[in-house]
Amino acid sequence: MARPEERLRCTKEPFIEDVGTRRIKSIRFSMFSGNEVRQSAEAQVWNSRIYDQDMRPVPNGLLDTRMGAANKLGECTTCHGSFAECPGHFGYLKLVLPVFNVGFFNCILDVLKCICKRCSRVLLMEKDRREFLKKMRNPKADPLQKSAIMKKVRDKCKLSRCPWCGFINGVVKKGKAGLIILHDCSKTLDGSAEQIRSALSHKKEKISISAIRMLDAATVLFLFRRMIDEDCKLLNLGDRPEKLIVTEIAVPPVPIRPSVFVAGGRMSNEDSITVILKSIANTNSILKETLQTGGQFTKCYECWQLLQLQVVEYINSDSPSLSDSQHRGLVQRLKGKTGRFRGNLSGKRTEYTGRTVISPDPNLRITEVAIPILMARVLTYPERVSYYNIEKLRQCIRNGPHKHPGANFIIQPDGTKLHLKYCDRRIAARDLKYGCVVERHLEDGDIVLFNRQPSLHRMSIMSHRARIMPWRTLRFNESVCNPYNADFDGDEMNLHVPQTEEARTEALMLMGVQNNLCTPKNGEILVASTQDFLTSSFLVTRKDNFYDRSSFTLLCSYLGDAMENIDLPTPALIKPIELWTGKQLFSVLVRPNASTKVGKTTLGNGNKDGMFSVLVRDYNSHAAASCMNRLAKFSARFIGNHGFSIGVDDVQPGEHLNQQKKKKIDEGYKECHDLIASYSKGALTLQPGCNAAQTLELKITGVLNQIRATAGNVCMDTLHWRNSPLIMSQSGSKGSPINISQMVACVGQQSVGGRRAPNGFIDRTLPHFPINSKTPAAKGFVANSFYTGLTATEFFFHTMGGREGLVDTAVKTAETGYMSRRLMKGLEDLSVFYDQTVRNASGGIVQFLYGDDGMDPAKMEGKDGKPLNLDQLFMKVMATCPQRGHDTLSPGEILQILNDKLSEHDASSDDGCSEKFKQLLTKFLEDRIQLLKNTRRSLHLDEDRVGKKDASIEECIAANISGISAKQLQVFLDTCLSRYHSKKIEAGASIGAIGAQSIGEPGTQMTLKTFHFAGVASMNVTLGVPRIKEIINASKKISTPIITAELLSGKDVLSARIVKGSMEKAVLGEVSESIKIVLKSSQPNLVVKLDMQRIEALHMGISADSVQLSILNHPKIKLKSEHVRVIDKAKLRIYPAGIDKCKLQYELHNLKSMLPKVIVKGIPTVERAVINKIGDRYNLLVEGTNLLAVMGTPGVDAMKTKSNHIMEVNRTLGIEAARKSIIDEIQYTMKSHGMNIDLRHMMLLADLMTYKGEILGITRYGIAKMKSSVLMLASFEKTAEHLFNASYSGREDQIEGVSECIIMGIPMQLGTGILKVRQRLDYLPEFKYQPDPILS
Amino acid sequence: MADDDYNDVDMGYEDEPPEPEIEEGAEEELENNNEDAPDDVVGAEGEEKDQEKTQRARKTSKYMTKYERARILGTRALQISMNAPVMVELEGETDPLEIAMKELRARKIPFTIRRYLPDGSYEDWGVDELIVEDSWKRQVGGG
Repeated sequence: MARPEERLRCTKEPFIEDVGTRRIKSIRFSMFSGNEVRQSAEAQVWNSRIYDQDMRPVPNGLLDTRMGAANKLGECTTCHGSFAECPGHFGYLKLVLPVFNVGFFNCILDVLKCICKRCSRVLLMEKDRREFLKKMRNPKADPLQKSAIMKKVRDKCKLSRCPWCGFINGVVKKGKAGLIILHDCSKTLDGSAEQIRSALSHKKEKISISAIRMLDAATVLFLFRRMIDEDCKLLNLGDRPEKLIVTEIAVPPVPIRPSVFVAGGRMSNEDSITVILKSIANTNSILKETLQTGGQFTKCYECWQLLQLQVVEYINSDSPSLSDSQHRGLVQRLKGKTGRFRGNLSGKRTEYTGRTVISPDPNLRITEVAIPILMARVLTYPERVSYYNIEKLRQCIRNGPHKHPGANFIIQPDGTKLHLKYCDRRIAARDLKYGCVVERHLEDGDIVLFNRQPSLHRMSIMSHRARIMPWRTLRFNESVCNPYNADFDGDEMNLHVPQTEEARTEALMLMGVQNNLCTPKNGEILVASTQDFLTSSFLVTRKDNFYDRSSFTLLCSYLGDAMENIDLPTPALIKPIELWTGKQLFSVLVRPNASTKVGKTTLGNGNKDGMFSVLVRDYNSHAAASCMNRLAKFSARFIGNHGFSIGVDDVQPGEHLNQQKKKKIDEGYKECHDLIASYSKGALTLQPGCNAAQTLELKITGVLNQIRATAGNVCMDTLHWRNSPLIMSQSGSKGSPINISQMVACVGQQSVGGRRAPNGFIDRTLPHFPINSKTPAAKGFVANSFYTGLTATEFFFHTMGGREGLVDTAVKTAETGYMSRRLMKGLEDLSVFYDQTVRNASGGIVQFLYGDDGMDPAKMEGKDGKPLNLDQLFMKVMATCPQRGHDTLSPGEILQILNDKLSEHDASSDDGCSEKFKQLLTKFLEDRIQLLKNTRRSLHLDEDRVGKKDASIEECIAANISGISAKQLQVFLDTCLSRYHSKKIEAGASIGAIGAQSIGEPGTQMTLKTFHFAGVASMNVTLGVPRIKEIINASKKISTPIITAELLSGKDVLSARIVKGSMEKAVLGEVSESIKIVLKSSQPNLVVKLDMQRIEALHMGISADSVQLSILNHPKIKLKSEHVRVIDKAKLRIYPAGIDKCKLQYELHNLKSMLPKVIVKGIPTVERAVINKIGDRYNLLVEGTNLLAVMGTPGVDAMKTKSNHIMEVNRTLGIEAARKSIIDEIQYTMKSHGMNIDLRHMMLLADLMTYKGEILGITRYGIAKMKSSVLMLASFEKTAEHLFNASYSGREDQIEGVSECIIMGIPMQLGTGILKVRQRLDYLPEFKYQPDPILS
Repeated sequence: MADDDYNDVDMGYEDEPPEPEIEEGAEEELENNNEDAPDDVVGAEGEEKDQEKTQRARKTSKYMTKYERARILGTRALQISMNAPVMVELEGETDPLEIAMKELRARKIPFTIRRYLPDGSYEDWGVDELIVEDSWKRQVGGG
């Protein structure tokens, strides 16, 4: 069938100006009116039938062909495109009666609350109205402020009588069932209601009148249409309010709701939306008919309600007004993890991707990945034919799609694609021209991205060089396991092939393995030798290992691919035979042609002073990488020949160990029994802040842990040095001393929830033990080792502990995953700009200088994020630049040179360096000077003046020991400064994302163990993931608030006790000897007698007067001062307030029960305070809140008092203090789990949480206040809500943030997108028609 | 890329065509990345920026960031892969990226970097003005 357009083809193409590609700059959200819906539609839908008998779409039905093709067979009659070509066209469905839009229902309610229900004007006095309007029209007001003003307007609109027309307005509220709006005037009617009621009561028939009217959609629509534009503005409406109500439904294009034929084309399966729309069309036509035929009102109304509910279902099938829905509405398509926003717009599926099982191959370089040929034949790279590659590509084409270095497609310059399977490849190769693109197979050296889920940090996806190999797994060097967190127990990994030259370059330069050896989390090296490499290095470098020439050269030859020239070092022993040590092999390894037992600390990951770290810093990443390659090759070959395995005999305990262990366990058990005995007698000395049971638990746990530790130590001492587990543990390749001692000596205490095994039966753990038994064995102590075997009960306890571990892992993945996601969403768009500030995408400043010194955390050398490791650098300078007879400097000269250098440096064009770094440098040199002085003093030389080197022997010695020559100092300072500058953070770095990953990734490693001892044994602090969560959420209520109070006189225990006494709350019941009722004839009363001895002993400073005051201030006890009489220092008499005799007895007893609970002393919110001893100083740990009161307590040094409750710190000390406390708390939590994270990440997080002037948590509420972008918020949480609100107020989204750019498919303004590259033309126009001169 | 017209040209340098090729590459850059800059006045722009250069001192770092390096090498490699004339003498390199790196080392890449400051103003730096660290030198070999 010829297309109609073909018959009518114009002879001339219409002229369309080519304006090039366009970039979407912003998106405005608004609503469609019924008219606009009609105009944008191609077809009207009124027929509720979908297919006719022949299964052809019915015209004006829901699958009308004008709206696009319904499946692969169909064709669109509007644009004549097929299912793949035509994106579809909208239709419309006219509703007989208007209905509410559920998404806007709350907005409609809000608007109705504000307007008069007769004249549609805002219920505000003219003055207020003008004022609000002015605020609303302020061009500087951002959307958040506007919606706040809108809320204020809504709260202000409480006028019951309309100031414009005088109509009486009531309360507008939501009806109980379904979408109904009620207008309740019952409270605002003035008398007239009574009048009507009384008038009606005279009538015979019962007519109940109600002041509650229902506002149906049609009425509301009528009201909205009459609203004036100014009022709309006042209510923050971006558009006309009548658009909030549905009169026409836009029927979405057919291709987004495809119809599938089943049962041989006799039936069809329709999409949810089609089904809902079908029922809407059906109801609509019934309603229309009923209205036209003049049916019953109730029938019409029911029909209308049904229509309303169906439209609700169409928009949001989860809406609470629906009982239950089988279908997916429009909102359901958008929201959630697999919804349009998160599933299709923020994350997309890609081509040129592969995935298989991984396996190790030490013969590959660390930058390589071996790709199976099978995979390489499918994954292609489009290479453009040029002079350089045409022959290679011709060969590829000739090979075709089935032979490896082949090709799959040729793309001609005119865009046609030629599949090489279905054409003559010889001809294709012959006709290959410059400018064609050949999709060739992957070949050696191609750049691919390699990734393993979960991708927790940026090193989870790195770019490698491809190496095409046979077999079916992806292989890579084991040194790269760490960043991916991969092992080879069946893990699978993904592979992506970048498809453009730009993409490969960026991948190589920014994501290459070599450029990511160090983690930005803390600057430690992450790609490093593991497992076997460490073991074999350890074995080779034993102190008593010597190699003769043949074996040493053999080992050397293992290092490379027999391609390297190797200079043998001088042998360590020459006579009687030339022998080399294993360590010399490492000299060769570092410097093959020219250059300690070595274990994990030297070669492994997670440190900053190891060999590879030093290589990265002092030389470059290439040097480190090639050393890793050599080591990997060497150790794989070495250990293959040497052999290394583990057997039962390795874990057999010796006789000595058995005896020792038995002795230790017996001793420990005895100790425990003694403790239990004294506990049951009640003779146990309590630990501060603990009761007897807790003290017993603590002590027993201590003893039992001691047993395990000593058994372990004995075991480690007695093992033979050739023992394999011992070697592995010592070299750091696998296993810890605890693992070994559990196998050999004793498994130790099993714990559940940080305690000994809990009671699963009544008062005992298992029925094998007597009731209330607290013996080690009954509470989960496993005295056996894995070698000897566990008893039944021990085994059971062991499984209990094991289960907890499993549950923890399962729970924490979900928990930390969500935390990481939130962090990422909060921090994603922060980056460093060219003026060194850290800003978010809309230009809001978060930090003026990143991390206060502008350093890159990935490049930090020193501990605790210091930029340089000065000691190491100094040693290097001393070694590489010897004094060679130059005179050394005197202390004064050294400082002089330093200051000159620093000031000169400040003046130069580079921005100088931070105060912190200057201090660091000065401090370091001062230490050196001190060393110099000490040396000179001990040599009896003048400390401050340095003589000529050859003046005396002592001078010479001093110079050699700690002298610094001018040259050396110069070189040292120059190196320091230039290295300092190379460590600056670069403009464009997406610091936010890195920070989020650096905090989120360690979260997954944190065991979910919540509690931990903070200094004092009994004081528990929430730690781990829950604590990080509290901090990040900015929780108002945290589980363990603790205030650390420093004391003014910190060395005095007594004063500490007094302060503690004044802080801890004491109730009257605790400090009184007795509270008695005295019944006398005159006036019955209560006598309170204070326990003065106790008060004195505890330094509480309570007297009868203070008690009187606190009783009077108690909110529940309503007594006046004449009722509470002070008799003497320790006695009070209290008279009941009532004079009523009958109630007297009741009042007295009531008072008696209330009085003991009156707080007479201390801070009510403080649970308890514990005195803590640090060194020789005491401080107080206060459990509870109210920092202000604690700081105000006499004897507390308010300046040094801290709280771990961030919101409270913010309340009492302000936002800067809160920022500091966020940093400190995260740091503390991470530290106590042994995690080391650069301070700069925490600073950034804290700054982000505080830069708006209030603390914003990284939660959906906080992020909504931080970010202005609707798309970003919609892709985070509450998708539909954000979209509806945005279109209500007509918000505009500048596409500038990361999420928005990804959603729109636009390059973002970070990293390589921060700059623009322009072609420089002054070079180009001159074209030489001869080769360039050789010399120019 | 409809470049059929120079299929017969053996290797570039005898005929004009390579020039539009490059210009196209440059223009593509502009279109993709510049929202505010006028589209096709690259030449005029040059004078403007010269003026600006003399007007005020540039204050951003004189070191090339790794992002700038990656971007420039990527763009240049793309140009070279599309048969742009190479600015340096080749010693058997065929990989466009490798050639681009060689050009950068020789400071022969004919690009200007436009660094945008947060207030919307910008600084132009020629690639030859910036100091390039050389730790990336041996990246291509893969180690």
